[in-house]
Amino acid sequence: MKRTHFLAGAAALVASAALPSLAAAQVQVGAIEILTGPAAAYGIAIKAGLDLALAEVNAKGVLGGQKIVLTVEDSAGNKDQAINAARKLIGRDKAVIIIGPTLSNEMFAVGPVTNERKVPTVGTSTTAAGITEMGPYIFRTSLPESDVVPVTFKKAQARGVKTIALMYANDDAFSKSGFDVMKAAAEKLGLKILTIETFGSKDTDFAAQLTKIKALKPDAIGISALVEPVSGVVLQARQLGIGKETLLLGGNGANSPKLGDIAGAAADGMLVGSPWFIAKPDAVNTKFVADFKAKYGKDPDQFAAQAYDTMKIVAQAIDRAGAADSEKITAALGKTDFSGVMGPFKFTAGRDPASSEGVVVLEMRGGKFAIAQ
Amino acid sequence: MPVWLDDFLWTYQNVVYALGINGLLALSMYVVLAVGQLSLGQAAFMGMGAYSSALLTLKLHLPFAVVLPAATIPPVLFALAIGTPTLRLSGVYLAIATIGLGEVLRAVYLNVDALGGALGISGIPERAGMVSIYGLLIVALAVLWLVARSGIGRAMEAMREDEIAAAVMGVNVRRYRLGALLASAVLAGAAGALSAHVSSFIGPNEYGFEPAVTILSYALLGGISSPFAPVAGAWILTLLPEALRGFADLRLVFNGLIIVVVVLFLPNGLLPLRMRRWVK
Repeated sequence: MKRTHFLAGAAALVASAALPSLAAAQVQVGAIEILTGPAAAYGIAIKAGLDLALAEVNAKGVLGGQKIVLTVEDSAGNKDQAINAARKLIGRDKAVIIIGPTLSNEMFAVGPVTNERKVPTVGTSTTAAGITEMGPYIFRTSLPESDVVPVTFKKAQARGVKTIALMYANDDAFSKSGFDVMKAAAEKLGLKILTIETFGSKDTDFAAQLTKIKALKPDAIGISALVEPVSGVVLQARQLGIGKETLLLGGNGANSPKLGDIAGAAADGMLVGSPWFIAKPDAVNTKFVADFKAKYGKDPDQFAAQAYDTMKIVAQAIDRAGAADSEKITAALGKTDFSGVMGPFKFTAGRDPASSEGVVVLEMRGGKFAIAQ
Repeated sequence: MPVWLDDFLWTYQNVVYALGINGLLALSMYVVLAVGQLSLGQAAFMGMGAYSSALLTLKLHLPFAVVLPAATIPPVLFALAIGTPTLRLSGVYLAIATIGLGEVLRAVYLNVDALGGALGISGIPERAGMVSIYGLLIVALAVLWLVARSGIGRAMEAMREDEIAAAVMGVNVRRYRLGALLASAVLAGAAGALSAHVSSFIGPNEYGFEPAVTILSYALLGGISSPFAPVAGAWILTLLPEALRGFADLRLVFNGLIIVVVVLFLPNGLLPLRMRRWVK
């Protein structure tokens, strides 16, 4: 009610100034992403995806021709700044819905704040367990790792893998969470876990762990870490003589073109699950990739793809809500039925993505990803 | 309360809390710098306070009035245990030893499952507020101000200027050093408990080397002429990133630039005046 009063007041003011009632014809949407600092690459990719989708959405408008105004605030990867950004977007900019923040850790800090104000919050890149359990206003469009990793492991099992060694970076929430999922997936499929080895995200030497693994002769090695350490592990595994007969399996962290850039041919044969693949042949995806290249002069990555779909899901929800009202948009979001670059999309009752149908297993070949056969 | 004021306070609530908490952290740095020690264990003490308070709240469901003082006990015990061996060191050696302690604790948080490992602890209820944060800050400032004006303050200043001369004049150097370290542990531990109970999430990487340096920079920017100076430094460094939001991509560049300019032109901090001169 407060908000409608405010909007009505603003509209009256603008109208009395004999101007077109711009204030009433805009829908405020906020986003919190990492635009500066070491993890800025993720936030910048997401912002690019959001902006691209926004241009398409605003060509038609929502709610009968209203424009969406997207305010993107920087969190610099810091949880306090992410909270400040959320409070500013809701309190000052009157955003009716928030997209982001980028990291799961930031979401754990921002979620309680937006949930308290009953502003729907949609994570596009937050894959850790427990995110959407924070409250009824917290959604995510990114497939949690628990949906992606089992698909990769099933593919490995189909290729005859029976024993596996697991490695993960134990100082980073994303890697630890991915490892928990790998362990559960291996146990569920009946794969025998021979050993579990840990390392640090910034380590450059993995010889001790890999020598131990080599002696155990597993059929596969599952690695959960960000792309830089994964590449290091892969390179060193090959140097130590772990050959192609041992299948390498990566989590979401390995799902980056950087893997090929750093590890090159050493990564050949590695399997990585992905909710999206640049060469997916459907029309929606080819158009997205072409538009993205035309606008930014580079290939989109998974984060841009997820953000692109999310902006459209949000715009549709606002449209179906029939008003720029957080409560109605939350209800409309729950009824999402969308088909985008990631494939068909719906939310579960727990506000997570409902289907992992869009997941593709990729295989590294000659330093590039291709769809695994 | 009018709607706009309510919205304004809600928007900047976290910034206002952060000013108070970072003020306390700046004071925990001040007390060791005031006796001429470069100890960088404040982030580690803060982490111990944050983790122990979060566990006391979540596992034992104790009221915050009990949790807050209780959370300062582990950092104090830790400071007592490390105090005797580390305070034999001084200058940059002490700094390195205390940074090492912070990293050891980080490894403990990462590897103990009960502490959440890399996932940290989430879902901490919001218990701290204006009264607890600013009440504590005001009390700490008042006590430190009185101490600085007393004989103890003069002994501390003598130690800062020349430790050997101070010892010759009968100042019990070791006792003052240990006292300063304990006070630092109490202040940082309380700040950690308060911060855990306003931001609902804590992780192991929040109490490592980087925050230790940030806390040091509060005191360096403000100066250590009086307890108010480091708090002023903390406030400026906390407000700057928020005030510069308008610069978007260039935000951190301006943030850094302002700090460099201040350090170049005001090497003794923003408030270089000696407190006694104001009082006279």
